[in-house]
Amino acid sequence: MTDPVDAAPDDSTLVRIRGLTTVLGGKTIFDALDMDIARGKVTSIMGPSGTGKTTLLKHITGQMRADAGSILVDGRNVAGLSREQLYKLREGIGYLFQNSALLTDFDVFENVAFPLRQHTKLPEVLMRNLVLMKLQAVGLRGAARLMPNELSGGMMRRVALARAIVFDPKLILYDEPFVGLDPVALNQVLKLILTLNQTLGITSVVVSHELAAVQRIADRVMLLSNGKVVAQGDPKSIADDGSPWTRQFFGGEADGPIPFSYPAGDYATELGFAGATK
Amino acid sequence: MNARAPRSNNAVIQSLAQIGACGLFLLTLLAAIPRSFRYLRETIRQLWFVGAMSLTIIMVCGLFVGMVLMLQLYHVLSIFGGTSASGMVVALSVYRELGPVVTALLFAGRAGTAITAEIGLMRATDQISAMEMMAVDPIAYVATPRFLAGLIAMPLLCCVFCAMAIFGGHLVGVTWLGIDNGTFWANMTAVVDVRTDIINGVLLKSLAFGAVVSLIAVFQGFTTPPTSEGVAYATTRTVVASSIAILALDFVLTAFLM
Repeated sequence: MTDPVDAAPDDSTLVRIRGLTTVLGGKTIFDALDMDIARGKVTSIMGPSGTGKTTLLKHITGQMRADAGSILVDGRNVAGLSREQLYKLREGIGYLFQNSALLTDFDVFENVAFPLRQHTKLPEVLMRNLVLMKLQAVGLRGAARLMPNELSGGMMRRVALARAIVFDPKLILYDEPFVGLDPVALNQVLKLILTLNQTLGITSVVVSHELAAVQRIADRVMLLSNGKVVAQGDPKSIADDGSPWTRQFFGGEADGPIPFSYPAGDYATELGFAGATK
Repeated sequence: MNARAPRSNNAVIQSLAQIGACGLFLLTLLAAIPRSFRYLRETIRQLWFVGAMSLTIIMVCGLFVGMVLMLQLYHVLSIFGGTSASGMVVALSVYRELGPVVTALLFAGRAGTAITAEIGLMRATDQISAMEMMAVDPIAYVATPRFLAGLIAMPLLCCVFCAMAIFGGHLVGVTWLGIDNGTFWANMTAVVDVRTDIINGVLLKSLAFGAVVSLIAVFQGFTTPPTSEGVAYATTRTVVASSIAILALDFVLTAFLM
């Protein structure tokens, strides 16, 4: 399954994951996970909390190394890259953090300008215009001189988005972009993701568990549970494809194949009723 | 970049593992120095923060240390009628011991804690991960500039401290207690040696202390668990570990440089 020939990407696949296995603290996060992320599309990765959605993004960007398996981003195996090559790859990837992760020392303008300042030697005028264009795209040109602690959660997320797109990446990874947003801010972020994908053709991966939001933007939904992709398909039809996983997850049912309890030893033994164990 | 020490239940092994991890971290820091030249602006910003912003506390403390030292010495030396030597003794004790040691202790409390807390919070709020994702090496951008800033700032701060201490001694001794101005300076210049007292005492010691304090501060910031509790503990550990390291290193350095 991890055969490099088999894993050679075709043009329509930007990220190809084969046989990804990760064990963290004795718990298997991914169990021979296979996944293809299509170029130029919005792919949504859904799943219950703690299934390793964020961990998956960290694998794709090379922040974490997997125990086995391969991840090919644009044909390059992430695990085999040197630090310089990895940094080069990351310049082409935008990453929106769950908590925005703005640099608190700098104002909004400098936050968005940060990647440009680090990697280019653009004239100040050009840099200023580029940053203002990105800020205008997220509707925050007027907030350029505010400090991150003066922003609301929704504004911070939009600044982080402007920063993520300042290099015109070919791939943007959104980690829970809808959490904690009011309905208006949520719609604005949805619209931005869609605009970026449609006008610039940026491949987008949206990690989320909000089906209503995902249905409006995603071309494809992958449901992750127990370390595997348990269902995938088009967002309109995935909820009723008949599998018990999707029925439980999208129906929000308490009982089903998705485990409620964190893996644990025998209950009776732990309570001290050793005789009760059969 | 995670140079966290391996866990052990044995406190001694745990401490040794910490020291080992800290040593490895130093190697990472030193290896990142060529890469951090690109971030000269950041180093200068940190130098301003740990150096220039610490000036007030260093100057005030230097002044009072010099004043109280002169007061004590004057009273002791007056028993033997040797008050004219008090300026010289103030100078020697400040240059050889008090200057570098007190400056380093103040530096650990003022700048070391701030560095640890800042880096710890940057990790807790994913700013370090964000830098990695923007293809900026956090060791070269965050750790090394702070380390270098501490290394450069300490000898300079120590010089300011010593100057203020001599001024304080002069203030109390000459202006207040009435030692002859000429005797004060003449005795001092006759005894203080540039190599043993200024270069070995002030500069070399403070350079070593600067390296140790900034290394500990940056290491604690980078290795603490990124939680509010972790940052609080790391800040405390920076002060405790720095203080012990300064005083122990002071003894070793004195023994070798004497």
